[in-house]
Amino acid sequence: MGLPSANGDVGAPGQATAVRRILALGGHDFSSRPPDRAVCELLLRLASERGGERPKMCILPTASGDTSDQIGRFYAAFGERPCEPSDVSLFRLGRRPMALRDHLLSQDLIYVGGGSLVNLLAVWEAHDIASILSLAWRQGIVLAGQSAGAMCWFEAGITKSSGKPLAAAGLGLLHGSLCVHYNNEPERRAAYLDAVAAGMPGGYGLDDYAGLLWEGEGTPAAVTARRGARAYRVCSREGAAAESPLPARFLPAPAPAALREDIAEFRRIKTMRKRAGWLG
Amino acid sequence: MQTLPRQIVAFGGGGFSMESGNPLLDDYVLGLTGAERPRVCFLPSASGDADHYIVRFYRAFSAHRCEASHISLFRREQGPEDLRRHLLSQDLIYVGGGSVVSLLGVWRAHGIDVILREAWEAGVILCGLSAGSLCWFAEAVTGFHGAPKRLDGIGLLPFSNCVHYERGSKRNDYYHRFLREGMCAGYAAEDGAALHFTGTELSRVVASRPEARGYRLDVAGQRVVEMRIATAFLGDRGVAPTAPVPEALSTAVAA
Repeated sequence: MGLPSANGDVGAPGQATAVRRILALGGHDFSSRPPDRAVCELLLRLASERGGERPKMCILPTASGDTSDQIGRFYAAFGERPCEPSDVSLFRLGRRPMALRDHLLSQDLIYVGGGSLVNLLAVWEAHDIASILSLAWRQGIVLAGQSAGAMCWFEAGITKSSGKPLAAAGLGLLHGSLCVHYNNEPERRAAYLDAVAAGMPGGYGLDDYAGLLWEGEGTPAAVTARRGARAYRVCSREGAAAESPLPARFLPAPAPAALREDIAEFRRIKTMRKRAGWLG
Repeated sequence: MQTLPRQIVAFGGGGFSMESGNPLLDDYVLGLTGAERPRVCFLPSASGDADHYIVRFYRAFSAHRCEASHISLFRREQGPEDLRRHLLSQDLIYVGGGSVVSLLGVWRAHGIDVILREAWEAGVILCGLSAGSLCWFAEAVTGFHGAPKRLDGIGLLPFSNCVHYERGSKRNDYYHRFLREGMCAGYAAEDGAALHFTGTELSRVVASRPEARGYRLDVAGQRVVEMRIATAFLGDRGVAPTAPVPEALSTAVAA
């Protein structure tokens, strides 16, 4: 613990000097499609800024009920990258016991997967995970997640954990509220706007592939991995909810490793053919 | 309206989850319903609603002998919308194994604990193995993760409970220690044994294996008194229901 950091902003455990970072994502997958690769690249970059060349990245798939699918996709995305991926499956501790607290606090980035926000918070409370995550955050470990795994950091979110979209409480590390899949699920957005108009603390709406990055105190930076995917500020004005889009930095997708090799080979062939005079 | 008895069948371990090819415990709980085609709802919450587990449930509780359903609290957008109505309309609620800590957390978040009490009082038979057994009691010994720990269940039965009570298991030592430290008296069951309660009285112990047993544990001062309970092996034809009588008496001295 208390890993030496690349930029020297990481305090020893218990010190409050570390920059507190949270990346909240409206929705994404771990596929090989360009916007997903862009999101994974950002996650890896944030982890590397703390952990150096081989940062430790752990997924908490609690909100899904620890499905092998979600865990498998995380390993598929990061298994071949310069990092040490791991998972903490609270439903599988019986078969694979681990020292939860030590493991989580030794990470550079903790990623929380999507699923049921209500169950996520309930299971975390039962296992006393919330206090560990809050400590991790204060120690400068990057907290990240999508969907339920993004809303959990706020005071409240709009979840479909009970079927239809309803407000539910989060951990409250970040002030205000968050609504994910914002324009992707109109009924969720409508429920959010109604809730904010009715007195729920305002906050943000995030489309799939849009994200908000908090680094230290103050306002977050909006990012987007897909053209048209936006982050919105949502607040209550005279009894109605008002939304305004935030300017966002575009995250370019890195070429997939396999494609990079294919492109290189194509270029070599093209050069050879040019030299031989086959191509104009 | 006729009032049905409140019944809970707590398996130490067994049924389709652990004893493939041995349906004796599952047949026993289905038989208790008295219904020709009982409505059975599976609650796989302790496994995180694992798909493979749900599939195995439907395979074991096939459509020709019951009307099976399940509730996945991680995927509420599918399945019955009104959980209370669905659970109260069942003949049998079957709770799967896994993490009892996670199970209780998720149940409380969705108000399932309250609904299950109501279902029990209305005569819906409750059963389950492992985490699905511990949950019904006031106190439980969970050994799911690391060293066995004490925890509070939903408390329909005012006893403590320990599952997988196999000889030489470290759960046994921990259970005895917890009892000496003030845990309330209770019952333990080996894999294959099931404790059948009517109301809050143990009415009998049944088993899917001839050697599986249930135990009653009491504390006298610093001594734990463990009684082996006579157990009816369900594989014998024509087993008559027997009252739970102490079969042997053994006294475990404080370690």
